[in-house]
Amino acid sequence: MDPICPLALLSAGTEATIAEVRAGKEMRFRLAGMGLCPGARVRAQCVDRGSLIVSVGDARYALSRGIAMKILVGEPEAA
Amino acid sequence: MTGIRIALTGNPNVGKTTLFNALTGSRQHVGNWPGVTVEKKTGRIDWNGHAIDVIDLPGTYSLTAYSADEVVARDYIIDENPDVVVQVVDATNLERNLYLTTQLAELGVPVVIALNMADAAEAGGYAIDREKLSALLAIPVVRTVGTRGEGLDGLLDAAIREAETSPHHEHTVGYGNDAEAMIASIVDVLSADKDLTKRYPLRWLAVRLLEGDENALAKIRDSPAFTGVQALLSGIDPDEYEAAMADRRYEMIAAVLPQVRTAGAGGMNVSEMVDRVVTDRYLGIPIFLALMWGAFELTFAVAAPFVALIEAGLAWLSATVAGSIEPGWLASLVGDGIIGGVGAVLVFVPNIFILFLILSFLDDTGYLARAAFIMDRLMYAIGLPGKAFIPMLIGFGCNVPGIMAARTIEGEKDRLITILVNPFISCSARLPVYILFAGAFFGAGAGGVVFLLYILGIAAAIGSAKLFRHTILPGESSPFIMEMPPYRLPTAWTSLLHMWSRGAMYVRKAGTIILVGALVVWCLASLPFGVDYGSSASLAGALGHLLEPLVAPLGFDWKIAVALLFGFVAKEVVVGSLGVLYGTGEGGDALSMALLADPGLSAATALALMIFVLLYTPCLATIATIRKETGSWRWAGFSVAYGLVLAWLLALIVGHIASLFLGGA
Amino acid sequence: MSNVIKGVFGAVLGVLYGGLGMLQIVSAVTYLALPFVPASFFGGFVLLVIGAVLLTGARKFAQGLDEGVVFVNVGILLSVAFGAVTLLAAGAGALEAVIAEEAWSIADAITPAVYLAVIGAAGFLAWCRTFFRGLVAA
Ligand SMILES: Nc1nc2c(ncn2[C@@H]2O[C@H](COP(=O)(O)OP(=O)(O)OP(=O)(O)O)[C@@H](O)[C@H]2O)c(=O)[nH]1
Ligand SMILES: [Mg+2]
Repeated sequence: MDPICPLALLSAGTEATIAEVRAGKEMRFRLAGMGLCPGARVRAQCVDRGSLIVSVGDARYALSRGIAMKILVGEPEAA
Repeated sequence: MTGIRIALTGNPNVGKTTLFNALTGSRQHVGNWPGVTVEKKTGRIDWNGHAIDVIDLPGTYSLTAYSADEVVARDYIIDENPDVVVQVVDATNLERNLYLTTQLAELGVPVVIALNMADAAEAGGYAIDREKLSALLAIPVVRTVGTRGEGLDGLLDAAIREAETSPHHEHTVGYGNDAEAMIASIVDVLSADKDLTKRYPLRWLAVRLLEGDENALAKIRDSPAFTGVQALLSGIDPDEYEAAMADRRYEMIAAVLPQVRTAGAGGMNVSEMVDRVVTDRYLGIPIFLALMWGAFELTFAVAAPFVALIEAGLAWLSATVAGSIEPGWLASLVGDGIIGGVGAVLVFVPNIFILFLILSFLDDTGYLARAAFIMDRLMYAIGLPGKAFIPMLIGFGCNVPGIMAARTIEGEKDRLITILVNPFISCSARLPVYILFAGAFFGAGAGGVVFLLYILGIAAAIGSAKLFRHTILPGESSPFIMEMPPYRLPTAWTSLLHMWSRGAMYVRKAGTIILVGALVVWCLASLPFGVDYGSSASLAGALGHLLEPLVAPLGFDWKIAVALLFGFVAKEVVVGSLGVLYGTGEGGDALSMALLADPGLSAATALALMIFVLLYTPCLATIATIRKETGSWRWAGFSVAYGLVLAWLLALIVGHIASLFLGGA
Repeated sequence: MSNVIKGVFGAVLGVLYGGLGMLQIVSAVTYLALPFVPASFFGGFVLLVIGAVLLTGARKFAQGLDEGVVFVNVGILLSVAFGAVTLLAAGAGALEAVIAEEAWSIADAITPAVYLAVIGAAGFLAWCRTFFRGLVAA
């Protein structure tokens, strides 16, 4: 699956699958531990100019725009 | 068998400390947000003839640590060989929690799963088949509810059984032909080093190495096998393996989950809905400020009648003392020294208790994590991640835990900045100073003035952070990512307990440090013999006059100079010293009357004084903590110097501007 | 149907909060003395915030967004919470007056945050109890 857009550009209420995480190694390990790794389904819940709250499985995370730009997702679709 | 060490580990905010407290009877800090615990804590219990050390660790999402608190957790589990690891698992969030389980299993330590928050899972409609889960993972699974102390016996029994079973089963994820071949060849090379073989499970080490974990690489740096491993790894792209291996772990979990869990009803939950509003791009910050103001109303208004009662009690006490104690110097010691000094601080016990009640409420609801998110944009503008706002909010109670909480900040420079600005956050010890002076000089506007002081503290912290970012600690802020825990309703009982344990500390402080401080100031004010008590001919007067030139531009006289000097020890001492120096042994609200009557004091000087107290070094304990957390006296010294300069400048400026409006100076 | 009622409720209560909040701020700045609307800068600010939440909800209802109900519910919650806080503070004021043997009248307790919260509480009882039942005790 091709990366389509950064997570930061999702609009509230849409779902997508993570395609790639373009962050440093340590950050990637941390994100994998949190469930944010390629293949994971994420849903954007609250969106505010790039920073957002997403749900992954049963967990919910707040991300700043900086990190949300580095997580690339596939085609978003309305949940 | 005697000593057994049980390490509690798990993801952040799953209830490790709650279980630790329930098991050991401790009172460690519990809160509904990730990153509460930042140090390891040990507690001892006796259980069926076993002496058990229970170790509470900071939460971590994986065994590859990223921030300082995670390093503590990782190092303990990997390097200190606990007899058994209890992984506390949040039953409402199995998938992610089991990721850490796969890593623990790989490490080969005996693991027991405490399936915690079972109550919340059941309320959410999840049913989890524990036996099946246990069989599939080859790990004992015990149901627990930490908050109600359910399942503790079963947990201890299972942990002891696991610790005593030697060899226990290992059950690890298979990573597919390609990766497994690599792992096998790395293990082969590593096994030549017997020393390494004794210390670490080789398969685990090989997996970490294949994923490209720096920490694992560091562990074999001195080993003769190092060059061999390097040769093996040089031909491959660890990034590719890393992604594929994480994927395998989640695949394994995904295969287990449907067999053991029947999911509850989905739908938008309350937390999600409330977050829509409180993290709204326009309403978020105003709501935060409104809540802060509400907290203020409570701290001041609700405490007022209780403060009045204590004042009346003290007035009666000192009247009794004055009338019944001989000789005169002893009456002065008890009346002016002890009742005047310690009493001046004790008067504010109701405010402090309510403040702690509110902070504990904030802690337990889960709003704290949202506040960090709301502030992220603002914090980003000054070069810090939003997470750095949490240590600030904790600092409202006390700067010491606030500074410690900075351990969860990932970047080293970010952490330093967060530590250095924390002293500007107005801790509970400064509250008595504000209430005393604002109450005496600003009447009905007192609440607003104090609220603005708190806001000024935040502004000073944020402004200084920006300054440090642009001068001594340049760099990018580390990215912000934080779990949003579900909102919970704190029970009255836990909130009250929380309030009690922290409030009691304030009272204890009044009976120790502040008592000593008051006695020292009383001696200085009474010596040399025969001098008029508290006059400028006394030692205190001499000391004060020595310091006076330094603070004279701010409009402070020698008494205030002495109080500020002793305030270095702890901020309440400022109030205590003034209580002693003004000789208000009559108790009650005599001190505020005496301050009001002092011609040297005006509303503008009172304002300058409050600002000075807000910004200069909070207390010795804070300095020691800065030293400990930064590992150098240089930063501690810098913090003191910077605080003094900033306090002096702002007090001067605001004092002068205020005197234009309020009159006097 | 119930959505229309809720939207209108949010709009009306929102306007009341906004208006009275404004009055409190104005009278704090200009030393105006109005009956039952004591001057208070920050108190007025709080009312404005509650008003803004409720009006946002009403606006989202008008746009046909489901989110509207969320904002109105949280607005009602804030209304009740701040009503309770103000009432507690007023009660403490009364107690203090008794202790200090000063004059105190019930009128001191009748502030916008309190009497508007009565309306908020009605809304809370009507709609919000099920909404917040989802919260699990800590
Ligand atoms: N409903 C429910 N809540 C629980 C249970 N155990 C803990 N909690 C709550 O979960 C929150 C987190 O508890 P902590 O004990 O601080 O969690 P922790 O794992 O130590 O967190 P960190 O130190 O941040 O990693 C608190 O609000 C607890 O009251 C439980 O069994 N059921
Ligand atoms: Mg903890």
